[in-house]
Amino acid sequence: VIALVAITDAGAPPPVAPLRAVGAGSLCALCVPVAEGESATVDALVDREELIERLMEDRDLLPVRFGADVPDERAAERVLAERHDELAAALDRVRGAVELSVRVAPVAADDPPAEHEPSGREYLRARIARSEVARGVHDRLAALSRAAVVRPGPELLRAAYLVDREAVPAFVAEVQRTQESRPELALLCTGPWAPFSFAGAEAAA
Amino acid sequence: VKDKVLAGPLDLDPFAASDERLSNALTRRVNADPESVERGLAQLVLTVVELLRQLMERQALRRIDGGGLSDEQVERLGRTFMELDRRMDELTEQFGLTSDDLNLDLGPLGRLL
Repeated sequence: VIALVAITDAGAPPPVAPLRAVGAGSLCALCVPVAEGESATVDALVDREELIERLMEDRDLLPVRFGADVPDERAAERVLAERHDELAAALDRVRGAVELSVRVAPVAADDPPAEHEPSGREYLRARIARSEVARGVHDRLAALSRAAVVRPGPELLRAAYLVDREAVPAFVAEVQRTQESRPELALLCTGPWAPFSFAGAEAAA
Repeated sequence: VKDKVLAGPLDLDPFAASDERLSNALTRRVNADPESVERGLAQLVLTVVELLRQLMERQALRRIDGGGLSDEQVERLGRTFMELDRRMDELTEQFGLTSDDLNLDLGPLGRLL
């Protein structure tokens, strides 16, 4: 049994062991053997992430979700051939870019909680204010990115941005500028990640 | 793992709620034992309720923006959503879930919420 790690161009630099490249058309799949009884532990996920991060240093790739195992290399070839055009299009979409994650949360307020229960109107006003804060930050960052995905979460904003590699410093600077102008918010920007949020069909829509 | 923080506050507390997400998700995905069936079912039901709540709230906010509602209607809507929000928090806590769990991965279709 082998695990698919990433899809990349057939012309990309050859991977080092234990990775093997299986090709079909203009694409190739990078695979690793799966040890008997191996399961999704935190360590295994961290190892996989580090492997993908090393690979993305010198090539464009589509990361494959952990757990995508196939019986052998011939099966990997088949998967690649069957979905060739879709995967090639997805690889073109992320070419030259990385994924940056941004989360925005309110800084814990020091003032005591309101004495009275908020009225229905106040509650709705607060909800509207929340979504406007999120939209404001998101719009500024989305303007610096190739594509963006907003995810639900407990924070005000949780989003992923597909950013050109050379535009990463400008993006980070914008996050820092926003942080300086909005002390009531906490902004957390992490990356660069492989384009996990932009590798699948959801990003094509 | 290399330091992946490109920009962040000195104090990461506002984001600490997600810390347990990874290990929770792992244990839940991997162990499909009988005891977790009830929780899995609750997770499914609450996810659908949460989807409806978000859709309704979005619709309500849009109507308030449009200005077509009386003060009394706005107040009643607000109270309803506040109560719904609180009940959802209570229920998710009861079943040992977090708001991160109230989502469904639909595979190639992406995520529900």
